[in-house]
Amino acid sequence: MKRESVKAMLVGTLGVVAAMSLAMLASHVSPILGFNAFFYGAFGGKQQIAETLASTTALLFPALGIAIAFRAGLFNIGAEGQLLIGGLLAGWLGTRIDVPPALAIAAIFIAGALGGAMWGAIAGWLKAARGANEVISTLMLNFIAASLALYLVTGPLRAPDAAGPELSLLPHAYWLPTLLSQTRATIALPIALLAALALRYVLDRTWFGYRLRAAGEAPEAARRAGISLSRVALWAMAWSGALAGMGGAALVAGELHRFNTQLSPGYGFIAIAVALVGGLEPLAICVAALAFGALESGGLALQAAAAVPKDAIHVIEGLLVFALAARRYLGAKGVTAQ
Amino acid sequence: MLDDVDLTCEAGEIHALVGENGAGKSTLAGIAAGELSADTGEVLRDGRIGLVHQHFALIDRLCVWENVVLGHEPRRLATIDRETARTFVRQLGERYGLDVDPDALVEDLPVGIRQRVELLRELARNPSILILDEPTAALSPGEVERLFSTIARLTENGVGVLVITHKLDEVFAHAGRVTVLRRGIVVERRPIAEITREQVARAMIGGDIPSIPPHERTNGAVVVRVRELVVPGTIENLSLHIAAGEILGVAGVEGNGQSALADALAGLTPFRGSIERPAAIGIIPQDRLVEAVIPGWSLVENAMLGRERAAAKGSWRIDRAAARAQCTAIVERFDVRTTSIDAPLATLSGGNQQKLVVGRALIDNPAFVIAYNPTRGIDIGATATVHSELLAARNRGAAILLISFELDELFALSDRIVVIARGALRGEFTERRFDRDAIGRLMVNA
Repeated sequence: MKRESVKAMLVGTLGVVAAMSLAMLASHVSPILGFNAFFYGAFGGKQQIAETLASTTALLFPALGIAIAFRAGLFNIGAEGQLLIGGLLAGWLGTRIDVPPALAIAAIFIAGALGGAMWGAIAGWLKAARGANEVISTLMLNFIAASLALYLVTGPLRAPDAAGPELSLLPHAYWLPTLLSQTRATIALPIALLAALALRYVLDRTWFGYRLRAAGEAPEAARRAGISLSRVALWAMAWSGALAGMGGAALVAGELHRFNTQLSPGYGFIAIAVALVGGLEPLAICVAALAFGALESGGLALQAAAAVPKDAIHVIEGLLVFALAARRYLGAKGVTAQ
Repeated sequence: MLDDVDLTCEAGEIHALVGENGAGKSTLAGIAAGELSADTGEVLRDGRIGLVHQHFALIDRLCVWENVVLGHEPRRLATIDRETARTFVRQLGERYGLDVDPDALVEDLPVGIRQRVELLRELARNPSILILDEPTAALSPGEVERLFSTIARLTENGVGVLVITHKLDEVFAHAGRVTVLRRGIVVERRPIAEITREQVARAMIGGDIPSIPPHERTNGAVVVRVRELVVPGTIENLSLHIAAGEILGVAGVEGNGQSALADALAGLTPFRGSIERPAAIGIIPQDRLVEAVIPGWSLVENAMLGRERAAAKGSWRIDRAAARAQCTAIVERFDVRTTSIDAPLATLSGGNQQKLVVGRALIDNPAFVIAYNPTRGIDIGATATVHSELLAARNRGAAILLISFELDELFALSDRIVVIARGALRGEFTERRFDRDAIGRLMVNA
C-alpha cells in the first residue's frame, strides 16, 4: 500500500506536468514561462505559500473524510454537501455563542463535524436500512444541501446586516489565528494534520478501523465474521461527513468568517481526487493535498500571468482522477481474473 | 510446474492420474490436449485428444445441441441446419448412454447433466483420447456410477480415457493403471492390480498420512435444536438437533438448502421457526477466499477477523501483541506452514489458508461448530489435519454440524448423518451405520 501510494503520486505528478505543458502550449504559452508563473504563484512568497496552504487545508479535511468512506467500500461523493452543512452549522453556532475564543473555536469545529456527520449519516442510514446506493444518495444530497443552505440564508437565518444571502459575521475573536500574519493560512492546517494522524491511528490500531477496512476489503468475509455491514456503513459515512464538515467549519472560521453559500468552489469534489492520489492513506493524502493546493493557487497565478484558463487546471485534475479510477478498475479486474 | 514427465494413455484403457493440489495434474492435461505448451518435450498423439475441464466451459444461454455443435455447426447455406444438429446430438447421446434433451437450455440443467453435455461436446469431435479433469467433484454417487458406466462404454469403443482425480476409491474401482504425480514429477506408475491404496496415498503426499484420533463415544446433552425451520425459497420445515460431542453430517447434492441452513444457524439470514444454539460458535465457511479470509491481509489480521473486538479487550485499541500471540498459537497448533505471520495470506497454499480458517474457528473451543466443506480443494495432508482437529473438537464436547459434498468425509467423521434434498431432510442414519447406496438415493430424492 505504501509503495502503491508513492507510485500513484509519481505517475500522477508526471501526468499533471505533461498535461499542464499541453494546456500551456494550447494557450500559446511557453511551458518554461508558464511553469515559472505557476511555481511563483504557488510558492513564490509568503502570500503565495499561504494561499497554497489555505487550499491544502480546504482540501485535506474532505479528502480525509472521503478516504474513510472509500476504505469502508463506500463511494461517498457527497463531501461537498457535507462540507456545506457542516459550515452552515458552524457559521450559525459561531454567531450564537458567547464564550472564551478557544472554547468557541472548538465548538465551531465540533458543530461543523456534527453537521457533516449528520449529512453523511443520512446516506449511511439509507444504505444500511434500505440498501440505497450511496453514490446516488450522496450525489443527490449535495443538491439538497445546496438548496437547504440557500433557503436558510435567504430566509430564516439571513443576517439582518448582510448584503447578500449569508449569515452574520463571526465575532472577530472567533476567527482562526493565522499561521502567517495577514494571510489566509490558519491553524486549521495543523488541526487537519492532526486529524490525518488520528485517522491513521484509528484505521490501523482500533477495532473500529479494522472492521471498517475489513468491510471495504472483503464485505462477505466481514459479514460472515459477524461484522455488521450496516453499522459500518452508518458510522463510516458519519465520520466521513464529520471530517468534511470540519473542512466547512475551517473555511467559515478561517477564511470567510461567516457562512455563505459560496463557501466552497467544489473542494468536496476535488478532494475525491486528493484522496485517490493519496492512495486512501491518511499521511499520503496530506502530501497529495499539498500538491493539489499548489495546483489551485499556482493555477490562479497561471491564469493571471499567462492567460491559461484556471479551468484547464480543473480539467487536468479531472483527468488525473479518471486515470486513477481506470487504473484501479483494471487492477481489480486483473486480480479477479487470476 | 512439471519436470521431465512422461505419460502414455492407450486405446481402450482407463488411466488414472492422481496427485495433490498443485502437483501439476491439470497443467499436464492442458499440455497433452494442446491448450498449454511445454518448455521442452513433445506430445505425440494418434488422433484428437479431448479435454473436459473441472469447471465447465458451457454457454449457459444456449441450448444443449447448440453447445455441442458450436464451432463445427452443420450448415445449410448461411444458416445452421438445426435438424441435422439435433439428430446428431441425439444419436451421439444414445451411442454413449448420455441421454440429454438436445433442446434443453444449459442454464436450466443440474451439474450432472451439464457434465454430460461437456462430454458430448468432446465426443462430437471423435477423440481417440479423452481427458477428464476431476470429473466427479460435483456429482452425487448415482451420477458418479453413471459417469463411469459411460466411460466404460467409451473404452469399449476404443477410446483411451485419462481420469484426473484425487479420489482413490474411484481409482481402485475403475482404473486399469495409475500414475502418481507429486510436485511435477512422476513418482509412481503401475497397473492397479500391483499397487495398494496405502502405497498410492503415500506416493501422493510423499510420506505417511497424519493419523486421525479415534472416535470416542460420547453421550452429551442436546445443545443445538432447530425446529420447523423455513427459509423462503430454499428450506421448508426442517428440524434437527445436535448433542454436545457429536458430529452431525449433512449429506446432499450442492444447492439443496445447505447454504441456507448454515446461514440460518449462523444468524446471517432471516428465517421462520426456532433455532436454539450456544452463543459461542465457530464457523468454517464454504468459500474460503470470499467468505472466510481477506487474501491480501496478513495472517495476523486474518486470524483476528471476527475477534477484533475481543482483541481490543474493552478498549478501542487492538492489543497487537496479543493478536500476534493468538495468531502464533493458531499457526503452531494447526500446523499452518508459513514463513511469517506477517506474510499476506494469499502467499500460502490453499491447505494452509484453510488450516488458519479452521484454527480461527476452533481455537477458543466453541460449543458449536459449523463446518461447511471444510476440506474442499485442499491436499491430503491438510485434510487430515482438519479432520483430526474436528474430531478433537468433538471429543472435547463441541456439537459440530458438518455439511459436505464428499460422502467419504461424512462417513469418516460423522456420528450421525442426515440427508438433505430440496430443502428438507429425507433420511437419517444413526450409530454410524451408513448405507452409501441408500444415502445416494435419498440425495437425489429417488
